[in-house]
Amino acid sequence: MSFNASDFVEKLRSIVGDKGLITSDQDKHPYLTDWRENYLGTAVAVVRPASTDEVAGVVRLCAAEQVAVVPQGGNTGLVGGGMPHETGREIVLSLTRMSRILEVDTIGYSMTVEAGAVLKTIQETAAAHDRLFPLSLAAEGSCTIGGNLSTNAGGVQVLHYGNARQLVLGLEVVTPAGEIWNGLRALKKDNTGYDLRDLYLGAEGTLGIITKAVLKLWPKPKDTATSWIAVASPEAAVELLSGAHAASEDNVTSCELMSRQGVDFVLKHIPGAVDPLAEKHDWYILLEWSSTRARRDGENQGGLAEKMETYLGEAMEKGLVLDAAVAQNEAQARAFWALRENHSEAQKREGPSIKHDISVAVSKMPSFMKEGLAAMRKALPEGRPVPFGHVGDGNMHFNCQGPAGWDKARFMKHGDAISGAVYDLVVKYGGSISAEHGIGRLKVDELAHYRSKIELDVMRTLKRALDPQDIMNPGKIVRI
Amino acid sequence: MPDTAIPPAIPTVPVTPAVLDALRGIVGDKGLILDEQGKQPFVTDWRGSLVGTAAVVVRPANTEEVSRVVKLCHDNGIAIVPQGGNTGLMGGATPWPTHQGILLSLGRMNHVLNVDPVGYSMTVEAGCVLQTLQETAASHDRFFPLSLGAQGSCMIGGNLSTNAGGVQVLRYGNARNLVMGLEVVLPNGDVWDGLRSLKKDNTGYDLKHLFMGAEGTLGIITKAVLKLWPAPKDVCTAWLAVRDPQAAIEILSEAHAASEDNVGSCELMSRACTDMVLRHIPGTQDPLKAETPWYLLLEWSSSRPRQDGAEGMSEKMEQFLADQMEAGRVLDAVIAQTEAQSRNMWRIREGVAEASRAEGPGLSYDISVSISKIPEFIDKGIKAALDILPTIRPYPLGHIGDGNIHFSFMGPKDMDRGVLKQYSPAITRAVNDLITSMAGSISAEHGIGIEKLDELAHYRSRIELDTMRTIKRALDPKNIMNPGKVLRLS
Repeated sequence: MSFNASDFVEKLRSIVGDKGLITSDQDKHPYLTDWRENYLGTAVAVVRPASTDEVAGVVRLCAAEQVAVVPQGGNTGLVGGGMPHETGREIVLSLTRMSRILEVDTIGYSMTVEAGAVLKTIQETAAAHDRLFPLSLAAEGSCTIGGNLSTNAGGVQVLHYGNARQLVLGLEVVTPAGEIWNGLRALKKDNTGYDLRDLYLGAEGTLGIITKAVLKLWPKPKDTATSWIAVASPEAAVELLSGAHAASEDNVTSCELMSRQGVDFVLKHIPGAVDPLAEKHDWYILLEWSSTRARRDGENQGGLAEKMETYLGEAMEKGLVLDAAVAQNEAQARAFWALRENHSEAQKREGPSIKHDISVAVSKMPSFMKEGLAAMRKALPEGRPVPFGHVGDGNMHFNCQGPAGWDKARFMKHGDAISGAVYDLVVKYGGSISAEHGIGRLKVDELAHYRSKIELDVMRTLKRALDPQDIMNPGKIVRI
Repeated sequence: MPDTAIPPAIPTVPVTPAVLDALRGIVGDKGLILDEQGKQPFVTDWRGSLVGTAAVVVRPANTEEVSRVVKLCHDNGIAIVPQGGNTGLMGGATPWPTHQGILLSLGRMNHVLNVDPVGYSMTVEAGCVLQTLQETAASHDRFFPLSLGAQGSCMIGGNLSTNAGGVQVLRYGNARNLVMGLEVVLPNGDVWDGLRSLKKDNTGYDLKHLFMGAEGTLGIITKAVLKLWPAPKDVCTAWLAVRDPQAAIEILSEAHAASEDNVGSCELMSRACTDMVLRHIPGTQDPLKAETPWYLLLEWSSSRPRQDGAEGMSEKMEQFLADQMEAGRVLDAVIAQTEAQSRNMWRIREGVAEASRAEGPGLSYDISVSISKIPEFIDKGIKAALDILPTIRPYPLGHIGDGNIHFSFMGPKDMDRGVLKQYSPAITRAVNDLITSMAGSISAEHGIGIEKLDELAHYRSRIELDTMRTIKRALDPKNIMNPGKVLRLS
């Protein structure tokens, strides 16, 4: 079929208007490259619809003209899921104009939003209603909820509240045929056929475009305790966490493991960063408990901070904890968190690194760490491992920093060997090669290599059935 | 069968003697039931209201056998009805009377394969009885929260295939939230090994959630990795007379914070419902001598044992109830002081199904709406039913924290089953119309099966039904996997 790009653009304009259309190279650029600048794609146009009907209209047009649609939210993904290809007949469909909060139901603990709403705006809206929307991650100031849901985002509160998919009651989705599926139900229970919602969540826009969502809300925490803990080993960390559930009355909201190497990078590169403990240790945990019950005056029992102190005291006696500091105020808690959250930034400033976002069963984490660090060192003895992450979810950012003084090109020659060693081990442990970041473009071949043929076939069967023209974010997750 | 149901088109390839021999070659004589008497309990649902047929009941001992049986059926185009404990309420595990194929029972696959207390997980075969799993978890000082009336006989494979609910959903979620990984035998006999013990795994489409709740129409769940929780150590149960359903949802809304997110259950009961249980269930006692129309069973539980001198759940509950009484939402309340008192409260809640059978014919709808719409729904729903049959006796109850009401009615006194049945279609339509107009669900936890096949088709959008059909056709092109359940394909 012959394709006239300018005719096509005019048809787009008739759907979304001038305001919804970006065609100049300069204005398109930010939509065509990811923030890590790993990709630079092309697109006939960047289309920014203002409503679900406009999204559906654009998709119907694209289906008729066989133009592929690359849906995009805040463009903060790490695996190129929102990136168009370098060649190809594609548009980027940005949801960022659909950014309204449509309803907040405080009694029903739910909120209905458009896909382009920025995560931070949603968190703040919930807080303004004395509620919590728990999804929390580094990119929250610019990522949008549609992208968070399409990639089933993780973050630092998964331990307590679950991944993004656990935070959703209902969805509205535009299908690859340009039809609107209204699954925007604010229901906690609904056993009426196949769970389409969970199929679209995490599908990275390859089965349809999420346009609206009903999100779950939680009571807002009123009492929080944060501590910085030195432990002898990842094994001690897992054991400490295991006991913390009961000691906190199931109020463990975060448990992040870090190594001395990672903390050293943060202390070196991030101004104002201070080591909370006097002596150096090999491993650290940031442990946070939160409760929705405010401390009351005159009670003979303290709040969470006292409970945490008691627990850590007992753990110290058992030798599980080497040293610990419980934050005495919010500024201290923020300083502890900064040590954790600046890991990526500090790694970037230190030089080139290779990232592996992996997960294994929580109880296998200690032995995986041991073997994994050995495997990494064997692949490149001068490399500097920087494992850190959500130990409570079994999810490690199992990263390797290049040797001191090496440039990117020199280091990347060892990239395949290092990643191969890590991923082979992950698979041996029955783990996942992408715990929270997804597959996108970056890991398509790795997924094809490590997943069973049966599983890939089922995914392909679903993709072909729901998107027979392969126009919805093609080439992501699985090759057809 | 629902009286009006026309059997859907399902494959009718018979089980030939050659196929039977091949089945025997896979599962042995021990795994086959051929005589009518032996098959009877498998082809009839537990209420005895649905009766189907099957050429043979096949009871494989392991996944390998399930896989070979399914492959054999696939190659021959023979239909398969998977079944667990056969306690479903919608006929999802009961063959249609036109069924010519096999019934595949998972009951022999009942091994707990692994318990990982540190990783809070447990790997089990599909035929494990739910109560066995609860007890296994408890013996490791862990908690598997799925809990429902049929737990002594229902099996985890069925629970997951129907995404079962129960009395702990409020805190722990439906069955699908309690699962980390699955092993599934696909309609062509391939085994999908998704038996991962991972809390996080973003590697493509979430197949696990697709198979859960699919009622065995997309494949047969053979194993699962279940999540475990810390065992509750400090539990407080209370029985509250409340002003009305609106007060009940406000009480729950505030209970989250007051209990430090430790609300385990919150069950609404009407006076009529409580009275019915007290009439029929021996040994139950009214916890409160109140004559007000609405009650709440509220339970808070914490995994932290009470420590000497410290405040436990019961002190927190007392403080909370005093506050709620002052606010006018709670009219009267009693906190269980002993295990026996707490058991009595739960017995009243759990005895409803049994009591309703003893009471006589009735109608019941398992519905959900968003929590804040519950009062409006109850009000309008009762009016709608009374408009059609003024002497019908409503006794609503349910999992209010989940927005899930068992919207139930006893027939008018002295009206027999046959007469009540004549009113049933009109009342069903009125109730389901109301639910749909309030953006609710016509089956909150029981599923679709055979019973609600046509109701679902009536109320769900064409796009949604088409999407489901597309998925079914793609994964089960021969339509052999529990055909004619959930969806009609044509």
